[in-house]
Amino acid sequence: MKLLRLSLLFGICCLLGAQELDPKKLLSPPTDTWATFHGDYSGRRHSPLKQINSENVQNLGLAWVYRASGGDNPAFGTSIKATPLQVNGVLYFALPDYAYAVDARNGRELWTYKWESQGGIHIGNRGVGIYGNWLFFETPDNHLISLEKDTGKLRWSVEIADVKQQYFSTPAPVIIGNHVLVGTGGDSLDVPGFLEARDPETGVVQWRWNSEPRPGEPGAESWPNEDAMSHGGGMTWMPGTYDPELNTIYWGTGNPNPVHAGQGRKGDNLWTCSIVALNPDNGKMKWYYQVSPHDTHDWDAVQTPVLIDGEFQGKPRKMLAQASRNGYFFLLDRVTGEHLLTVPFIKTNWTKGLNAKGVPIPDPAKEPKTDGTLVSPAAGGATNWPTPSFDPQTGLFFVNTSYSYSVYYLTDTDEKAQGYGGRDSGVWSQVALKAIDYKTGQARWTHEYPGQSGSVASILTTAGNLLFTGDPRRNLIAYDPASGKILWHVGLLSAVSNGPITYELDGRQYLVVGAGDMFYAFTLPQQSTTKTTEQAAR
Amino acid sequence: MLRCFVRKLSCFLISTVIIGSAALLLTAQEPDTTPPPVKTPEPAAGAGNGPHPGPAQTPSDKRSGPSERSQKFFGLAPPPDPAAVDRGQKLFVANCAFCHGSSATGGNSGPNLVRSVLVLHDEGKGTEIGPVILNGRVEKGMPKFAFTEAQIKDVAAFLLNRSQATVDRNSYKTININTGDAKAGEAYFQTRCASCHSGTGDLAHVASKYEPEGLLGRILYPSSHDRDRRSSGVQDPKAVSTVTVTSPVGQTTSGRLEYIDDFTVSLIDSSGEHHSWSREEPGLKVDVQDPLKAHQELLEQYTDADMHNVLAYLETLK
Repeated sequence: MKLLRLSLLFGICCLLGAQELDPKKLLSPPTDTWATFHGDYSGRRHSPLKQINSENVQNLGLAWVYRASGGDNPAFGTSIKATPLQVNGVLYFALPDYAYAVDARNGRELWTYKWESQGGIHIGNRGVGIYGNWLFFETPDNHLISLEKDTGKLRWSVEIADVKQQYFSTPAPVIIGNHVLVGTGGDSLDVPGFLEARDPETGVVQWRWNSEPRPGEPGAESWPNEDAMSHGGGMTWMPGTYDPELNTIYWGTGNPNPVHAGQGRKGDNLWTCSIVALNPDNGKMKWYYQVSPHDTHDWDAVQTPVLIDGEFQGKPRKMLAQASRNGYFFLLDRVTGEHLLTVPFIKTNWTKGLNAKGVPIPDPAKEPKTDGTLVSPAAGGATNWPTPSFDPQTGLFFVNTSYSYSVYYLTDTDEKAQGYGGRDSGVWSQVALKAIDYKTGQARWTHEYPGQSGSVASILTTAGNLLFTGDPRRNLIAYDPASGKILWHVGLLSAVSNGPITYELDGRQYLVVGAGDMFYAFTLPQQSTTKTTEQAAR
Repeated sequence: MLRCFVRKLSCFLISTVIIGSAALLLTAQEPDTTPPPVKTPEPAAGAGNGPHPGPAQTPSDKRSGPSERSQKFFGLAPPPDPAAVDRGQKLFVANCAFCHGSSATGGNSGPNLVRSVLVLHDEGKGTEIGPVILNGRVEKGMPKFAFTEAQIKDVAAFLLNRSQATVDRNSYKTININTGDAKAGEAYFQTRCASCHSGTGDLAHVASKYEPEGLLGRILYPSSHDRDRRSSGVQDPKAVSTVTVTSPVGQTTSGRLEYIDDFTVSLIDSSGEHHSWSREEPGLKVDVQDPLKAHQELLEQYTDADMHNVLAYLETLK
């Protein structure tokens, strides 16, 4: 009996010890763990798992469903935008003000945590970051919360930005080494953007990178004066990516402020609407590439900077690709920031061509006007935060796109315009899934969704020759990534609202997707998984 | 008959306002991928393509403050009493505008107070700005003002109104969009629009039905971009897609397109009956007729001048 107790105790200790997230999981493509927002640091959202594959996907069945409790969110409803992390059989995710732990095998809720909010825009939350046994998430009132991941108990909270200035925070923190990287959002009152590294033990700031230069610094010449520069926006509201070999993080920054009124901030407005390469240990910038100089259309450049290793024009390269909200696909050398490709992925009408570095040159005639100007894409963009995926097997970059038009109005003609200073009035849109050959920027195939409305969804690809995403209706769909052929679908209660993930537990591969306030988990019937394993053994 | 028409029209207009204001909200920092179930939200006052909203206003004319919907969206403090805002504005213009500008966005010697951190933390209470008003900031050249507590609260209310009006982009009003050349617009209309529309037929008096922004939106794409709304029966019947479905054995059914995705299609036939099919059935043919195709194609062809000229022409059809 005593021995039994001892061994039980030992077992529990080992279990607790084993619960820590192994930092190595962050460095390899996701299989038994989904360790960070994108699964790993590359932003590819590609899993090597292939138990579920193009041959058997039609047998995929529902394993469990889970409905997120709480999330009382009168202005926005409850919409899971978080990509859940899966660590040691537990899913961790967040909604505005809430964090959750759910058993990844059966969808049973293990704990919930509620933050008492001081306000802020409750539009969404992208999820959590995990360091060892600690969980981190951000709130609409700009607090970084740290919880014990096994119990949901509060460790500490720190304020990262001022909610009274209309900052609000939606990103999932990214853990790199002993840095918790936190970005923020908010463009109602012309506040400056920044990215911070915080200490996982204490929450104390380790470094801060500002989205705008200070007077006299390089880049300051892209602003007319200090006042405009210090109210210039450039929010960091999406998780970035990381190359451990280069020890470099890649982050997208948001639009400049005032959003639609550019008359008081003449110039390129660095480093808004840019992809920036930073040293994660000190926040020093290595290079930047601005995809929309002097943006006036609300086209944040926060879309995932996806890391691609492969050939370009016959030479192996370390690259980075972004399908940007402004309608252009960009391919850069991520070591140097050298421009490789710029190709539009929808029809746009806002540029006068590209400059020598492939940067679109904005056409002043298409900046918002008091009587309106018709522009493609609409303010929601040619794509938005829903994540793309890169499939190394096909060499294709997948992104859901919106070919869309808006009339953009300038409503504040004052030299000292404030806030948005204008707005857009949506006209029409057509949503399509595109498979872009990263070497040319051209679409290998396009799937236009019937009907012309709706939002774009996030994408997952797997080595099982599968691409999972949602349509603008309520369908979760599996495609053959090489051809665009639809292989399987299921109708959910609402449209796919988060980034789908996959993981293997106890020899079974699961697919988990968030739609509205629900998670749905799919897996193969036991029989067909056995068969696959046997086949693999042969 | 007239009542019925009026009801239909107002129903349509309300839906336009709702769609318009939802579209506005959704083009915020990110689109909401799954909007909450439609529970007839209160449209933001005057936001979107509403009918006859009154004279165009710039944000600085607005007194009533953000709508309840905007308050929830932006997480704003309750809007201040409009009477206090008025009194505060008079005080501000008389005493503070010389340095801070009449709309509080800053002047040659005084900073912008609309996005001042101290003012934003005051939130209309007067507790933060009171000491600054009473004591001045002599070192920065700001004199003392012997305001009463009530006057301080009124100025605080005015400043809160200014920051909320800036934050609440749903309340932003266009200035003047009817800038085109009506003659050129009529010529464009005759070559590009007249095969379906007529200024004396279906578009007679159209300018008296919609304010200019709503009319421009309808010129570009009449039924907004959300096709789901079409099935709710509040759209112009001329804008509704029809569909003919031919079964594998050659039987055809036609009607109003109710729903379509990659996997199913459904329609309402002329007797009001609902039919649906699996599109995965081999041999099934689905032929959608979209009466708005021509509008969609024109989006790639319009210059901004064409768009404004056609608006100017339709604005003559009072």
